[in-house]
Amino acid sequence: MVALARKTLIHEWRRFLPAILAVGFAGLLQLLQAALVLGIFGSASVYITGSSADLWASYPGTQSVNLGRPISEDVAMRLRMDPDVTKVEPFRWVDADWRGPRDTGGVSVFVSGIDPRPDGMMFSHALPPALRALLNEPGAVIVDKADLDSLGVNIGDTAAINGQRVRVVGVSSGLRALGGVNIVASLDTARVLDLDPAAAGMTTYFVAKLRDPSKAKMIAKRLSGQDTFGPYTVWTAKDFARQSQLYWMFDTGAGAGVLFLAGIVFLVGAVITSQTLIAAVIGSIREYATLNALGVGRGSLRKVVMEQAFWVGALGLICSIVIGALMLIIARNRSVPMELHPITAALCMALSMALAIVSGLAAMRSLRRADPASLLR
Amino acid sequence: MSTATNTPSISTSTTLQACGVRKSFVSGRLQSVVLHDLWLDVRASELTLISGPSGCGKSTLLAILSGLQPADAGGVRALGHELGGMGMRELENFRLQHTGFVFQGFNLFPALTALEQVELPLSYMGLPKGVARKRAIESLDEVGLGPRMRLLPAELSGGEKQRVAIARALAKEPELLFADEPTSSLDSANGQIVIDILHRIARNHGTTVLCVSHDPRLVGHADRVLAMEDGRILSDHVPPASLSTTLEAKEPSA
Repeated sequence: MVALARKTLIHEWRRFLPAILAVGFAGLLQLLQAALVLGIFGSASVYITGSSADLWASYPGTQSVNLGRPISEDVAMRLRMDPDVTKVEPFRWVDADWRGPRDTGGVSVFVSGIDPRPDGMMFSHALPPALRALLNEPGAVIVDKADLDSLGVNIGDTAAINGQRVRVVGVSSGLRALGGVNIVASLDTARVLDLDPAAAGMTTYFVAKLRDPSKAKMIAKRLSGQDTFGPYTVWTAKDFARQSQLYWMFDTGAGAGVLFLAGIVFLVGAVITSQTLIAAVIGSIREYATLNALGVGRGSLRKVVMEQAFWVGALGLICSIVIGALMLIIARNRSVPMELHPITAALCMALSMALAIVSGLAAMRSLRRADPASLLR
Repeated sequence: MSTATNTPSISTSTTLQACGVRKSFVSGRLQSVVLHDLWLDVRASELTLISGPSGCGKSTLLAILSGLQPADAGGVRALGHELGGMGMRELENFRLQHTGFVFQGFNLFPALTALEQVELPLSYMGLPKGVARKRAIESLDEVGLGPRMRLLPAELSGGEKQRVAIARALAKEPELLFADEPTSSLDSANGQIVIDILHRIARNHGTTVLCVSHDPRLVGHADRVLAMEDGRILSDHVPPASLSTTLEAKEPSA
């Protein structure tokens, strides 16, 4: 078979370039947008993804990790009673007000009270053991490197949280929060900082480790739905992380914005691509008509157009992958929160290919003008 | 086809027949008749030329005879098939198997070499790659373009492009070859070459070659000339030049 579609594409590359670039940039935009959104909203669940716990016990109906309510300490007992649970650890969340040594006004902070032992589950991925050990000192807190400025402190400085004196003993990285600043303290320090009378004798979360993490879903189900130890729900870490991200994405309207923008990108890309492909078909309409006169069926001609659309899509995708990879590397070096999962990337690619195919279908329609009788003039 | 028995009187070499073909076009409120109940037999192994001024309906006649356009009334029989009764798919298939076309414009794909232009329709006929390649090379050799078959259209002259177009039609080994003004965009030398090739195809391959042209230079090269005007065939004759070449050809054997 003579590779008409490919040879034409190569020979008339200038003609097809706008379509390839349109697909390429549409793909790139989708990719970067997805990476950025996932990166930003991924930080909504950094408490979960940065920790090694398999299960999270919280107040029933908790929509996002930052919205936890106090649950009874007894829940820990219930968790420990389960034969598959090997370890249980409390995690206290305190919404607090920060006053730094420099004039920064009030800063809303989220205090995470964690077990500072080296084998603690909370923030085990984000805080090295040496750093955790510093939290044993009463009033010691760790802040994210990127937040030092907005808090107006340096390592070793003292500040006040909810009117209580704290001292910054170290900095972490990758613990930035959405809508506030993350402060990590020990459970004891956090209890002192928590002024909410309702939280006395309670804690916000219990996290648990399992003997076999692959059974997490089943065990979470087994542990939920009992009220003997006060109201609580058990999530798998994965579900709770996703729940928190989705809450932020849709509660803030960002999710809808992303979908809207994706739609616009798709539309603009499809318009440019289809117009280019249509122009290419019209440019060769007499040749197509000649083939049809010689008996080459319309179906076969349509296939040529669709093949062209496919190659335009494929070349566009290569463009977006190359440029996208470059941008991601740059973003990572500048600590821009970007995150791309293979599935998301594949989805963006599929969307770009769909764009090319839809454009091909539009271009196919203009083949109707390939009327061989019109060649007899 | 069952209708083949309806016309026993036609000569065995008649391959293409128009029976009372009528065609009219509507432009605005005006209906203009382009072909008036036209009857015509075209024979194999001959180069039949339909000549006439532009607008006389000769291209429309070619379109109807080749199955590119339906007639309003009357029928066309090609190789024993009634074209009027065929659907679009059937007609495409009929053209794929039996017909070749040469147009005034060469209509070559700019991206393909001469060899690929000729191979392209063959690959759609379902021929194995080797066979298609062989036939394409033979056809290009026959039109004298063997040495230039690796060139793109942009590297060929007008006459050479038209020869590629002829080779493209010829390689299909069609029983019917239609040519519409094949020499109009060529100089006299190239026009001469092209018409000679068409003539040779009719003689050597037994092909029915139907050529439409207003180019008076072609008249002397045709086996039969039909003069058309206002949608009617005015005369049907064997041109003198062609007669003499036929006589010359016969002399040695006589």
